[in-house]
Amino acid sequence: MATCKDCSFYFAVPENAGDYKPGKGDCVTQKEDAKGKYWLSKPTLNVTPSCPTFKKSK
Amino acid sequence: MATVAQSIKYRNKVVDFPLENPEELNVPDEMLHENLCKPTTERTKRLKARCRWKHASAGEFIDKEVRAGIERMRLVTESHKATAGKPEVIRRALGLAHLLDNSTLVLQDDELIIGYHAEDPEMFPLYPELAYMAVQDYLMTDYCPQPKEEAQEILNYWKPFSIQAKCEPYFDPIDLTRMYQVSSMEGPMFASGYNSIVPPYETVLEDGLLKRIEMAREKLVHAQAEMEKTPWDATKQLAWIPKIDLWKAMIIADEAVINWARRHGRLAKIVAENFETNSARKEELLEISDICHRVPAEPCKGIKDAFQSKWFVFLICHALDRYASGFAQKEDELLEPYYNASVRDKSFQPMTHKDVVELVECERLKISEHGAGKSRAYREIFPGSNDLFILTVGGTKPGYVDACSDMTDAILEAARNIRTTEPSLVFRWDPVGRVKTKRLVFECIRDGLGYPSIMHNRIGVDQMKFFSKFSLNNNGVTDDEAHRWANVLCMSPGVCGRRKTQKTRSEGGSAMFPAKLLEIALNDGYDWSYSDMQLGPKTGKASEFKTFEDLVEAFRKQYAYVCSLVIRAKDVMRHFECRVMQMPFVSSIDDGCMELGIDSVELSEQPNGWHNPITTVVAANSLVAIKKLIYDEKKYTMQQLLDALHANWEGHEAMRQEFLNAPKWGNDDPYADPIIQDFYENILGGELAKVTNFSGGPVLPVGQAVGLYMEVGTRTGPTPDGRFGGDAADDGGISPYMGSDKKGPTAVLKSVAKVQKNQKTNLLNQRLNVPMMRSVHGFDIWKSYMDTWEQLHIAHVQFNCVSTAEMKAAQKEPEKHQDLIVRVSGFSARFVDIPTYGQNTIIARNEQHFGADDYEFLNSPL
Repeated sequence: MATCKDCSFYFAVPENAGDYKPGKGDCVTQKEDAKGKYWLSKPTLNVTPSCPTFKKSK
Repeated sequence: MATVAQSIKYRNKVVDFPLENPEELNVPDEMLHENLCKPTTERTKRLKARCRWKHASAGEFIDKEVRAGIERMRLVTESHKATAGKPEVIRRALGLAHLLDNSTLVLQDDELIIGYHAEDPEMFPLYPELAYMAVQDYLMTDYCPQPKEEAQEILNYWKPFSIQAKCEPYFDPIDLTRMYQVSSMEGPMFASGYNSIVPPYETVLEDGLLKRIEMAREKLVHAQAEMEKTPWDATKQLAWIPKIDLWKAMIIADEAVINWARRHGRLAKIVAENFETNSARKEELLEISDICHRVPAEPCKGIKDAFQSKWFVFLICHALDRYASGFAQKEDELLEPYYNASVRDKSFQPMTHKDVVELVECERLKISEHGAGKSRAYREIFPGSNDLFILTVGGTKPGYVDACSDMTDAILEAARNIRTTEPSLVFRWDPVGRVKTKRLVFECIRDGLGYPSIMHNRIGVDQMKFFSKFSLNNNGVTDDEAHRWANVLCMSPGVCGRRKTQKTRSEGGSAMFPAKLLEIALNDGYDWSYSDMQLGPKTGKASEFKTFEDLVEAFRKQYAYVCSLVIRAKDVMRHFECRVMQMPFVSSIDDGCMELGIDSVELSEQPNGWHNPITTVVAANSLVAIKKLIYDEKKYTMQQLLDALHANWEGHEAMRQEFLNAPKWGNDDPYADPIIQDFYENILGGELAKVTNFSGGPVLPVGQAVGLYMEVGTRTGPTPDGRFGGDAADDGGISPYMGSDKKGPTAVLKSVAKVQKNQKTNLLNQRLNVPMMRSVHGFDIWKSYMDTWEQLHIAHVQFNCVSTAEMKAAQKEPEKHQDLIVRVSGFSARFVDIPTYGQNTIIARNEQHFGADDYEFLNSPL
């Protein structure tokens, strides 16, 4: 089963970050509506099962 | 064609009024304001065009995409459940940390200042830990957080823990029911969650949070050593326990805020390196990333740092830790050192003055997008806006040295150029203020923004010194610190700086309604026209009052009952805020809280008690009419008046005309003014000043109106000033009733200047003639008016400068008038977003035309 770790929107939190925990990452996605583009960042874990916005990382 | 003011004869010469900008001659009156918006850069033009406004009209959000988010409710609740058993202040810090660690971050295209307070830029958070009624309100609307079942479950969880649930048992159910009517007094804050704060931004910008953490750590080491001293003395050493908890909580909160800011930095870097294709924007994002990594952790070094650090602190204090309206700060002095570093010295983040203006415009647009989870009642009273956001500029530094600077000018230029309803500005007018800056103030007002609202600088300074005398720890503001004040919300000055600022609205704010109180004083305390209940104490049948003084005494008793009840409601809330609504982050950035180990909600070094009488002038004019027609001239009996009022004047039109034409406030009238002066000074001010609040100081009236003059007007029956039941009340704290000031602008000033004793401030709305203001003489006339106003020692004035023709055109074709802004009361609003009922109250305000006598009184240099 695919997990966040395999997703191109998953960015691992650097080890020197204050909120670092093993396996913790930022899920960053781009959105667009009538008022423009914006990006959302949500904390996630690399073992979290993939969600509908999953896109396999290259 | 634009209208040009008519020539007049003044000091033996004919004075013409050609437009200052001759090109405006070709702009029709009906379209003037659509031609005034001039964003400073293409970026701010784009940002304004796509701005996610959160305006409400008649209590409904205008943009149907706007809605409540569930994320904050969910995260705060998770933490509350997980931390049961820990000290409450630690729980509050852990709650904030859980929220900041796990919340969704938002970064929008083109932004120079980043950060939002909900999981989507169209959303806003809710606060079930404050007032369950306010959240329940949302669950019944289209703006309900989703999934609704989870939101209801969260709300049910919080009901027994909420501030509202803790406070209610200490009130008689009858008193609670009376408060919840919102017709003689605003509902208690523990039921609305409405709040305000003055964050001590200065410490964050100057010190950075890492230093604050270090300070707390040092305090902890000291406290631990004190606890361990022998021989043990419980009377002294047990006192360290709550301090230790607070300093620990400060560290938890500050570390969480730093991590959260750095998450923003990470987001900007990820977007730059993985999503953004424009190389210039990539560079910007990488710079933003660097800034968010450094601030608020470290001291600010340049103006970009300062704007970003300030924005993060704003989001925590006003939206994430708990809700608070306002944008209180002395922004020009706060940012001046960083302006100087970047613009004058070019030592860090070098840029031009114009670049700073762009940053201010960006900040204004961030505020315009800021959503507030206020209950429906509070959305109704700010029509055409999203919330009360007010910052202060101008005034003086210690020694009455002019505090205006190039930063002040940048703030004013940005406001004039970008034309947004929020944030509103306050300008502290002082004789030493530089003319260059006053000219920019004039331009904002002339262009119809309705702000800056102008406060008398020296009245404010003296007021800070006055309240300082009541400091419970004898550490109120010094004479020098008294110069650093800003309006807490629309109207009330409060100190700002590194400590002693107001942290909660339970110190000052909220309203009571004299027009309704007079109505019930005429009916033995019974509210026949709205709530149909005994709304106050029984104070006798008006038909049996033998003298005017008997009536005034009945009013006084009704008012005194409300004064004590509303302040008690605030102080009971404060009592529980100290126990379960501590603010360890705010405490960490206040020098006093850090030094003393006392939470910011509890520590009150500088009292600042106030409450807002709203609808005062309807009550005052009514008293004048009663005295004249019933007690002095004996033309009617009290019973006849009561019969006419209960019939809403129907069948009594001739009588109504006589009451309507009785002398009115704002005409320098020798009959009306002494009665009304006494009403303000000895009844409204005198009675309220008898109350002592949580902070140990007196409470003083701040007469103003927000949009309550409409909402409460609809709940107020017919009044003896000739007003029909349900009509709007007076639109300011001391403004003449709309259309009743008939003797020109200087007569208004002369009336208002008579009220001095026992007041904090009173709002004066005036509407100025557009052709005069846009003429070559506009600035000189206005400045002479302002100088006279200052000499008359009047606390406040603000202006509408918009033609009736343009407002009526906007009513017909609202889509063509999106940039038409008007001053409602303590805030400005997009005219087309105000309900028609409210629009008509603004059109009905008297447009002041200046005659030769006025110019003479003002000594205008024409």
